[in-house]
Amino acid sequence: MSNSTQSNDKPESQQPQQQKPPVLEEDDEFEDFPVEDWPQEETEQASGSANGTSAHLWEESWDDDDAAEDFSKQLKEELKKVEASS
Amino acid sequence: MATPVLDRFLSGIDNLVKSRDGAKLQDFLQIEPPLSDVYQQMVAELRQRYPEGSPAEADLLRRCEALVPRTKGSSSWTAFPTFMKQYFTFLRDVNVENLLETYDRLKGLLNQCVLALGDSQFGVIVLPTVLYLSKVLAKLAMGLDRRPDLIAQILKLEGRSDQDDNIEKVTLVEKSANVVREAFIKCLTDRSGTPGIHGKPEGKRVGIYLMANLCLKLLFQCGKLRNAEQMFASISAQSPPLKYFPASQRVTYLYYLGRYLFSNNLFYPAQIALQSAYDQCHRQALSQKRIILIYLIPCNIIMGRFPSSQLLQRPESEGLADKFLPICRLIIRGDYIAFREHLALDSPANEWFAQKGILLALRNRCEILVWRALARKVFIHGGFHGEPQAQARGPPPFLYLHKFESATRWLQSQHSQPLNGTINFASTGHSPDAQAGSNPTGSQLVHKLPDHDFAGVDEIDAPDPSLLSKFADFLSPDTYFDATGHSHPNSPGTLIETTHLLDYRQYELNPYADAKPSPMMRELEAILASLLTQGLMRGYLTHKNPRFAIPGARLRGALPTGFPNVWLTISGRESDDDHVPGWVQPPTQTIGLPGGGGGGGGRVVNLSGARPVGVQ
Repeated sequence: MSNSTQSNDKPESQQPQQQKPPVLEEDDEFEDFPVEDWPQEETEQASGSANGTSAHLWEESWDDDDAAEDFSKQLKEELKKVEASS
Repeated sequence: MATPVLDRFLSGIDNLVKSRDGAKLQDFLQIEPPLSDVYQQMVAELRQRYPEGSPAEADLLRRCEALVPRTKGSSSWTAFPTFMKQYFTFLRDVNVENLLETYDRLKGLLNQCVLALGDSQFGVIVLPTVLYLSKVLAKLAMGLDRRPDLIAQILKLEGRSDQDDNIEKVTLVEKSANVVREAFIKCLTDRSGTPGIHGKPEGKRVGIYLMANLCLKLLFQCGKLRNAEQMFASISAQSPPLKYFPASQRVTYLYYLGRYLFSNNLFYPAQIALQSAYDQCHRQALSQKRIILIYLIPCNIIMGRFPSSQLLQRPESEGLADKFLPICRLIIRGDYIAFREHLALDSPANEWFAQKGILLALRNRCEILVWRALARKVFIHGGFHGEPQAQARGPPPFLYLHKFESATRWLQSQHSQPLNGTINFASTGHSPDAQAGSNPTGSQLVHKLPDHDFAGVDEIDAPDPSLLSKFADFLSPDTYFDATGHSHPNSPGTLIETTHLLDYRQYELNPYADAKPSPMMRELEAILASLLTQGLMRGYLTHKNPRFAIPGARLRGALPTGFPNVWLTISGRESDDDHVPGWVQPPTQTIGLPGGGGGGGGRVVNLSGARPVGVQ
């Protein structure tokens, strides 16, 4: 009877290939992992810190102080006009 | 009529039950086509020897009953033989051409298996089988869910009405979730070993997160997230710590938990759960990492933390920069009209976000950050930044709000002129929000469709006949009461005379009534007040001669004081409580006072629960 599992095994073993980038797009489903468990060394976190520099994932300071940028420049001109008229 | 294959199969099952080999048992109990030849042979034997509806079926049940170990004194495991018989009849009768019928049979089979799981002594043997059947059922239900046409067709053949069809369609996945939840509860409430936070995944408890994850998958699929709340509460109360479970279960669970928290607007704990899911994910699991990022990124954006280029260049982030960077740029720029347009109902960007279930959160939560950026820029270019000498005791830095209003009107004018030329506003040139400044009523900042319930109220003085007939009982009742409370008759069809009603304007109590701010100014003040309340701006507003003032800015400067860092503000406020509801952590190492229990020397004593002497 144990040979009966073959048909079931196949789709499982194909999973890793299905995860390759070309099919990444637009699958809403969170797929089952092909393996049950993995050690800390194989995690995303470990690979991030293994590169030496701790991964810089998030920008906390993004406030725009660039007065030369178009939007700011125009806003500045506009506010000057307000100043002059009041 | 010999049944050699069935005999062999039953004796195999018998051995597996005796040796309590749940994994192998599941391996034996195949149900998904294509079944191998041995199973085909067994099905043929079943059809011949135990045909549907024949008295021989009772014999089949008796043979299954022989599988259960009979122990003196304890009740035998009756649910298992019933399950086995149901398994055989499932194989014998199932018609996979009829998916809906297959679904019903499979659900019945799983139900019975869950009953078998409930046994305190033997239940754990069928845990892998419960998981297997749940997965097949989930797959089938979700497959059917994607094909409403098929369900409608089948139901029509069965002669059920359209209304039933609708009910059936939405509940198929949910029904499966309910069965899976039963299995989850059986796992969670296993009484053997140590339960709760001090326990380890043993016995049926090994299945807690396997079943929970499957149930959550189904609940997300059918949009019944609310039903997950009780699950998370039960897990918090009864589950061993998550860290003792395998990585795949941890990551999957934290992903669903994070999404659940996200959809409940609990962005900070959601961010912790999702970040941890991402960190613990296998580095090669690109598809999973990507899906986690789709929720982790907006979660951070909402709290004022944008994805770095480093993050967006990773293979799992492919294409995500195109989705999220425009939003970040619009927030930084401070152009609220362009921001609203970008995520408006008819925008091209809208659909992807809606499909992922993050559109409304982004639209509703990020706009305040856009306003903050605009206020900040107006202050930079139009505000009073304080006396040049730090010692001078001048007024604090401030911004006249009429400049903020002018900037807003200018922004609206920019968007109402197509092909402006000098600036690329990425505007279609007919943004409804850009016209809001000239709205006769309602918001001066954003466009809102008039409420249908109030349509036509302005014409009450000369109502059109349809309005009059529709609201006759209100506009022309038989009798009415005047201002002094006296009843008056009214002839049919005549409007109630209202001109003699008192004019209360002379009794105005508002001290600012004389110099009324423009409606737009009122809205802008409300927005700034909201920013101040949330701590995203610091200072105060004056209403008369409207200003935003930034006191205490000598040391650090007006800009950092008045417009503190968004992420630091939010995370500083939220990190007081790092507890993520639904995520069971190992108990903190609390030990008695040194010398109390002995052996406590050198270890950290947690006194957070200690009270000062003499306090009740």
